[in-house]
Amino acid sequence: MSRPLAGPRLARVLAVVPYVCANPDTTVTELAERFRVSRSEIERDLALLPMCGLPPYTADRLIDVWVDDEGYVDIRLAEYFERPLRLTPAEGVALLAAARALLAVPGADRAGPLGTAVAKLEATVGVSGRIAVDVGSAPLLGVLRDAVDAGERLELDYHSYARDELTMRRVDPTRVFHVLGAWYLDAFCHRAGAGRRFRVDRILAVRSTGETFTVGPAGPGAASAGSGSPAGAGVLTDLVYEPRADDRRVELRLAPAAAWVADDLPLDDRVDEADGSVRATLAVSGDAFLERLLLRLGSAAEILGPPEAAELRRAAAARVLARYPR
Amino acid sequence: MSERLERLINLTATLLDTRRPLTLDELADRLEPGYPDELASRRRQFERDKETLRELGIPITVGPVDSLGGEIGYRILPDDYYLPDPGLDPAERAALHLAVTAVETGGVEPLDALRKLGGAEGEGAGEAVATFALPAHLDLCFDAVSRRCALGFAYRGEARRLEPHGLLHRFGHWYVVGHDPDRDAIRAFRVDRIESVPTVGEADGFTVPEGTTPADYLASDPVTFGADAPVRARVLVTAERASLVVGALGDAAIEENRADGAVVVGLDVVNVDAFRSFVLDLLDHAEVLGPPHLRDDLVAWLANLAEEAP
Repeated sequence: MSRPLAGPRLARVLAVVPYVCANPDTTVTELAERFRVSRSEIERDLALLPMCGLPPYTADRLIDVWVDDEGYVDIRLAEYFERPLRLTPAEGVALLAAARALLAVPGADRAGPLGTAVAKLEATVGVSGRIAVDVGSAPLLGVLRDAVDAGERLELDYHSYARDELTMRRVDPTRVFHVLGAWYLDAFCHRAGAGRRFRVDRILAVRSTGETFTVGPAGPGAASAGSGSPAGAGVLTDLVYEPRADDRRVELRLAPAAAWVADDLPLDDRVDEADGSVRATLAVSGDAFLERLLLRLGSAAEILGPPEAAELRRAAAARVLARYPR
Repeated sequence: MSERLERLINLTATLLDTRRPLTLDELADRLEPGYPDELASRRRQFERDKETLRELGIPITVGPVDSLGGEIGYRILPDDYYLPDPGLDPAERAALHLAVTAVETGGVEPLDALRKLGGAEGEGAGEAVATFALPAHLDLCFDAVSRRCALGFAYRGEARRLEPHGLLHRFGHWYVVGHDPDRDAIRAFRVDRIESVPTVGEADGFTVPEGTTPADYLASDPVTFGADAPVRARVLVTAERASLVVGALGDAAIEENRADGAVVVGLDVVNVDAFRSFVLDLLDHAEVLGPPHLRDDLVAWLANLAEEAP
């Protein structure tokens, strides 16, 4: 079926009419900008309205629309549409989550227009102070953002999670952003000779080098840190880890309680079995990563192969257990 | 297409304008463009229209047409339809526009919400600085918080009840926080781990204690979040990982600084699984000192894995 959807157009009409009623000096051009559609879309919407109204659809019961030569719009006889429709819960929570998140970013102006807008909206919806968003208070954020703005080269002490090791790197920071609960730094890493993405909470120390760098629109950091795209949809897999063809693979059967792993990690292969368990082939970036994952999952993950992975888990469990003498 | 749109607009106007519920026959008599004469397809088209309106969040009330309770009719109650005016000024609308373009909330289109608030004001942000996921059922939880409805859902295989006080986002996850009437205590549930479509009780089903906000439940780490009763745990962290852990938990978690650079941190554990993961994530750089049952839990867990034949 390729029927054009009536829903989105209806939603727009039900928003445009109250706006025009409340703002009598509106033009078609302004409506198009405000509602993010073309002028001709707005004109089509407005052309439809004079055929709408209340039974028995006599002239005094139909919506009256007037667009003058200069594009000013006037709408009459639409009292029942003079106020907008309530927000749906999904819209309300999306809007407030976004606004609360931005307010939570260190350095946000909580007393500014966004703060007052959130307070008004929350009061309107009946959730005053009931939505809290924590984006973490990484103490190094300010320093890193300043370095991005100033184009300042930094030296980082970085804890590599996958290999469980501490490294020192000189980097040219290009961007700081937050995704799903953690802050990240994109930078050109001189040690790797390529763009790298760092988790800010694993940066243990930052030192100034006194050097600066310049980065063009296609500069070294921008060109190779992840896809260079903003923190959008495709970025998430980059953030977790980008498997390479020669990385080791491990095959696991995950009990239903551990099946979340299959959703959270990039897999080469996945088979969902009838009992809710998942057979998954996972690319592994480093021993420490695999040790942690297998220890955390415990017996909910059955190792199907290779045998070295089973030995890795056994040895890691014994090593940690050695801290607990009987 | 535009005929259907016309009918949807007229249906919305008529149902909003009426003082009493209208039956489908009455609607079919009055509406233009009309519904088919044939009853089955009339019913089908009306149901489709109703569904479209429902998807847009237009609430149609179904009820008896008169006090005798015979025929069923439809109307839209003005209080259900109209957004109370939040009184936003242009600067506030522009700030909200900036927020929804700077913060991505996968799936939902926050510009839809902005449209109802007067459209997109100003320029918006060029690129996102933050990305959030909005899990299934978050909207139901939000609705329950806003109307103070009790929730019921399956969680880790158990039926749970909650009077939701608020929603909280941290460490990449949404939590619904509130009073658990069965345990008479405050509990937090990860929304993406809710295993059934929550049941939503009557509006104003409970009152939220004065002065509590979800931010009060913000503790310093994820293991203090969950559906179990809180227990104070002590964890030894070696010098190599001390600054990493203290950076994550905050200085307040430090109970002891040892001469070799190791630290002992204290955590209020309300989620034993999350606590175990937290400790194991540090591999042999961490040791649970107490209480005994948490230490025993970890030892048993590891012994089970260590004794496997290679």
